[in-house]
Amino acid sequence: MRSGLGFLALLAAFVLASWLGWWAIPAVAALWGFWRPAVWRPLLSAALAAALAWGIWLLVDFLADPGAFARLGRRLGAVLPLPLPGLLLLSLLLPALLAWSAAALVCGLANVRLTPEGDNR
Amino acid sequence: MRLLLAAVVLAVLSYVAARGAGAAPPLGRFLDPANGVWALARTAEFPARSEVRLPGLTAPVRVLSDDRGVPHVFAASEADAWRAQGYLVARDRLFQLELQTRAASGTLSELLGPRAVEADRAARRRGFPWAAERGFAALDSSVLIVRAARAYAEGVNSWIGQLRRAELPFEYRLLHARPAPWRPIDTFYLFLQMGYTLAWDDETLNKLRVRDAVGAAAAEALFPLNSPIQEPIQPNGQRSPRADFLRPFPPPGFLSTESLRGRDAAEAIFSPRPLDAIGSNNWVVAPGRTAAGYALLAGDPHLELSLPSVWYEIHLHVAGGIDVAGVTFPGAPGVVIGFNREVAWSFTNTGADVRDHYAEVVDDAARPARYRLDGVWKPLELRVETVRGRRGETLAVDTVRFTHRGPLVRAGGQWLSLRWTVFEAKTPGEEFLRLDRAHTVQEWLDGWKDYVAAAQNGVVADRAGSIAIRSTGWFPLRPGDGRGDEVRDGSSSASDWTGFLPLAAYPFARDPAQGYLASANQQPVDPRANPHYFGVNWYSPWRALRLNQLLRADSAVTPEAMRKLQTDPGSARADAFVPLLLGAAQASERAGQGDTLLRHAAALLAEWNRTYTRENTRAVLFEAAMTALPSLVWDELPQEMQSDGTARPVLLPEEAILLELAADSTNTWWDRRRTPAVEHRDAIFAEALRRGYLHTLRDHGPPEGAGWRWADAHHANIFHLLRIPGLSALNLAVQGGPSTLAPSPGRGTHGASWRMVVETGPVLRAWAIYPGGQSGNPASARYLDRLARWQAGQLDSVLFPANPQDLPAARVRATLLLSPRP
Repeated sequence: MRSGLGFLALLAAFVLASWLGWWAIPAVAALWGFWRPAVWRPLLSAALAAALAWGIWLLVDFLADPGAFARLGRRLGAVLPLPLPGLLLLSLLLPALLAWSAAALVCGLANVRLTPEGDNR
Repeated sequence: MRLLLAAVVLAVLSYVAARGAGAAPPLGRFLDPANGVWALARTAEFPARSEVRLPGLTAPVRVLSDDRGVPHVFAASEADAWRAQGYLVARDRLFQLELQTRAASGTLSELLGPRAVEADRAARRRGFPWAAERGFAALDSSVLIVRAARAYAEGVNSWIGQLRRAELPFEYRLLHARPAPWRPIDTFYLFLQMGYTLAWDDETLNKLRVRDAVGAAAAEALFPLNSPIQEPIQPNGQRSPRADFLRPFPPPGFLSTESLRGRDAAEAIFSPRPLDAIGSNNWVVAPGRTAAGYALLAGDPHLELSLPSVWYEIHLHVAGGIDVAGVTFPGAPGVVIGFNREVAWSFTNTGADVRDHYAEVVDDAARPARYRLDGVWKPLELRVETVRGRRGETLAVDTVRFTHRGPLVRAGGQWLSLRWTVFEAKTPGEEFLRLDRAHTVQEWLDGWKDYVAAAQNGVVADRAGSIAIRSTGWFPLRPGDGRGDEVRDGSSSASDWTGFLPLAAYPFARDPAQGYLASANQQPVDPRANPHYFGVNWYSPWRALRLNQLLRADSAVTPEAMRKLQTDPGSARADAFVPLLLGAAQASERAGQGDTLLRHAAALLAEWNRTYTRENTRAVLFEAAMTALPSLVWDELPQEMQSDGTARPVLLPEEAILLELAADSTNTWWDRRRTPAVEHRDAIFAEALRRGYLHTLRDHGPPEGAGWRWADAHHANIFHLLRIPGLSALNLAVQGGPSTLAPSPGRGTHGASWRMVVETGPVLRAWAIYPGGQSGNPASARYLDRLARWQAGQLDSVLFPANPQDLPAARVRATLLLSPRP
């Protein structure tokens, strides 16, 4: 239960932070990695939550105007060297990898610094 | 290990997200769903109701956008209307605004990077920044166009100032750029760019090269002062076109055919001047020749097609003032082509010769600082032009020089200065604002009597049933024979223009007995009626011939008939040349020179009904034969090597000249210099048909196959401004071919940029369309919503409400209230 709430809190943080810009994803993930809450697979959770957060943004836009979203997707697919599914996948993969790597890096660095004192949060 | 991997992944991703990789934009900012490219879907449609505070407004402005994406602006003053217009155009076309202005100001590199350096240097060498800065600085703020440009700029900058990240146009995201503020002078740049599009062409130097090769008499015949077929814009009282063919047609001069025969010269691949590259049509029919008894007007300007369109459609209503609808260029306040409650109008390009060259004597052939005029050394005006890149870095530095005439350029080893009427315009664009206010034909004519450039053929109709046409613009008066197709001696001020043609001498007609008026870029006036020099080497008048033929034949014209004329598939050019091709095949047969190939080709061509409908399967053969013809006829003309290794003539005569030559069947021009035999006209036409047939078989397969279908062989292409294929509309099947009223030239990138029909009855009614849509946002339904109907030759009914309540609620898509910012 507590783990689920933690994940939801992270998800909410990613959704809101995305408004600031893409860089907010690794920033939030870094905090997450430093804090290392007691949730299932915290680094993987960070990646999933980040992807889900951007997915929610995309879903909201799709539901608001499916026609516009489809037109945009079709034209982006024609403009970029990626088909639409690949573009969508990239839009989810990018935040996931940013979040995972930032969380993992900070988590690892914190472990290196804190472990000698016996901190094993 | 995981730490290292995470560090590497984070570093790489952060770099790609922030900076991009290769041609890819910064992926973080690009894909960010809150404010990145996906957010364009969120901003594709406008909110049903919204309110915005706009600095500078004196009173609230109400804007209702209809289901065609056209904003209807209801304002309390003209300045507020222009301010709102700037805001709306920026909202829909921000990137286009900036791109086209940068093209004129020579600052594209600041947006696009080093790839645009040469284009920027060329724009600066043409003197555009010099002219715009000088012209704008000379005006005070009370001048109408300055007031309009300032209000418009405020509107544009209001949009830019409150632009949310989610609203940043797609192109800026691709380029990783931000929009630059809009300056009032940018409106001047826009009109310079239009001048460049419409009035820069000048073949004087190429014609001189031809003269050097074939002699003065022959060159004059090939590129004559007057069109050999007279069907002028100003009616000349004739009921049919007049052929003013030279007899005999002057043969090539210095180079005898004998001396050329056997010369080891590969036959050049001749690429004729693209037909009707910027050809346009307009016509107006008096009430006496319309079914409803009201004047009808059609506008059909042809320009390079682009997505978004070169035009932006808008309706501006000012309480107690202007009430005008139509199209304008993004960046130009007001309406350029359109109608108000009383008057409708449209333009075609006159194609007058308004740019002259002067050979200057300079003090230093490499780096001149002075030029000689009337025996006195005069200092050149020097202007150091620095082309900068995206980060402000210097990409190129040029010194551009100017005489009192204009920019000095180096061409063919000599220094030439240019004088161009476009540079003479003191208040570019102002006349269009005056036209918006006209209530009668006379007021409309008065409104642009001082218009300078680029010279336009304007047609107009009013609700009183009056119609008129006038070719308007400054036509230079030159010393001597008055012609502009020569390089004049720059060392004498006696070579300078002595003034400009008075208004009374402009090609003009009002309420003519024939009951209609039409222009299609043909020579504007019959030289027998008006001997003044307007230009040379006029477009072949095929469209004018067809248009006049159809208008003469219909004494009860309807708006629907006007619409159909705009995509009429018939061709006066085909009517002229098909009999020559078929006659040549028969003559060859009679002379015992026929063969199966020629007989087959002639039989297929004879089946052609001379129309360019999409389903037609014979037009392709005719076009192939016509393409083969110039290489066979004009092989005496000087050629130059192209970058692709092929030789092309420096200048080719118009096809009307070919028709003129055809009246002289044994002229030396018909003889091919590479062959020992002496050819005459019929042998050449027969060979063209033979070659055309072979090329058609090679390119399109057997005649009974689908490959000969015109729609499969010929396309229109509408490229995105950055020529991104995914945002372009390519390979569009359209009705029409070279020199039909809806010309579709070889490259297929030009065409009907705006089609309009207006009936000036008790209640003015209008129908119109342009290819593309109002929005520059590729996620918007209005990015391409008009394309299919344009392609099919259809028009939309244009809404023209006298007040907001008159706009049917079902057709209102968004209401925007612009309020003054306290």
